[in-house]
Amino acid sequence: MTMAEIVSANDGNFDSFMNSVKTIIVDFWAPTCMPCKLMEPGLEKIAANYPENVKVLKVNVNENPLTSSRFFVRTLPTLLFIKNGLVKTQLIGAVNPGQIEKTLSEVQ
Amino acid sequence: MEKNWDIIIVGGGPAGLAAAIYCGRSLRKTLVLEKQVFGGQIVSADIIENYPGFAEPIVPAELMDQMSKQALRYGVVLENDEVSGVHYENNSWRVDVYNNYFTAKAIIFAAGSTHRFFNVRGEKELLGRGISVCATCDAPFFLNREVAVLGGGDTALAEALHLAKFASVVHVIHRRDQLRAEKILQDRVFKNAKIKLLWDMEVLGFKGDQKLEAIELKNKKTGAVEVMAFAGAFLAIGTVPNTELIKDLVDLDANGYVVTDISLSTQARGLFVAGEVIKGNRRQVSISVGMGVQAALNCEEYLVSLE
Repeated sequence: MTMAEIVSANDGNFDSFMNSVKTIIVDFWAPTCMPCKLMEPGLEKIAANYPENVKVLKVNVNENPLTSSRFFVRTLPTLLFIKNGLVKTQLIGAVNPGQIEKTLSEVQ
Repeated sequence: MEKNWDIIIVGGGPAGLAAAIYCGRSLRKTLVLEKQVFGGQIVSADIIENYPGFAEPIVPAELMDQMSKQALRYGVVLENDEVSGVHYENNSWRVDVYNNYFTAKAIIFAAGSTHRFFNVRGEKELLGRGISVCATCDAPFFLNREVAVLGGGDTALAEALHLAKFASVVHVIHRRDQLRAEKILQDRVFKNAKIKLLWDMEVLGFKGDQKLEAIELKNKKTGAVEVMAFAGAFLAIGTVPNTELIKDLVDLDANGYVVTDISLSTQARGLFVAGEVIKGNRRQVSISVGMGVQAALNCEEYLVSLE
């Protein structure tokens, strides 16, 4: 089995991920957001630990304003949890991998 | 993972990491538990200009990353987990985390503080939808828009100066008629043409559907109520200490801060405190670092006394 990695999504290709059978975690970030950078290793672990059930996407809000406004993202870090095309919940602010896994288990 | 430790440090901000470096160098088995990101709240700040020893401004996240690495170098274990309980039982300290627990001979409690909120209508609903507590994270969302910074201390003015690089106008809204921030920051704010100050204003509520549209304000001197349109509101009105977990173990003042002295010890034997949980802390990284060191050295003396 190959290790799943975080995939960069953008305004052009975001819809192609929406109907995935997997739960999608979307990490909205920007280069100036330090808490976003510090959360990245935790998200990488989650992508690697749940390759069958979860896809982790990252969206740079500076380069992809359409996707950010579509989901009313106005603060970073924001994590959206999407399943079957629907936003199930979101986490705002810096969170640890345990909190992400707990939310994931509630969504799945 | 190892269950029993010499020292457990609750909180991985400046105080906790500084304590960790010293505990590690004392060759104590040391675990640091941090519920969010290592480095603490300061990693959200743009720059630090007043940390002694650095002539040029430094990036807080880089400074805190170096502190984490320095602690790891001395064998300290850094673990991301949220502490849900701190108890003394069977002659040792027990620290509960999600689905697990650890024990230790001593605790250094450096859980820091969290952002204070107004607790007015609309605030909770619009947090993350125009209301923010981190300008460096969220400023790009407000390019050429009009925003407000609520507060009058160092954090408020640093946030305003950062936001002025993005927003069209930044209104610093303060409840008093003078600022309490460092004079050098005040000077920069007064000289910045994009920053305006609104004095003596009380925040009554936040308005907006799906996203922030306006703030309802009351002039404390005239009593006039006004609704002003803003795309963003950045809260910088101080913090509340994270002392809920130890409130039954130590003396707290009316605002929840731990009352202690230079020993940084508490009524609970083997429980030391450091950083922003302590009454009178002036919320500076350098102060928290110093307190972490002091707590670690006193904790070491305590552990030696047990041997």
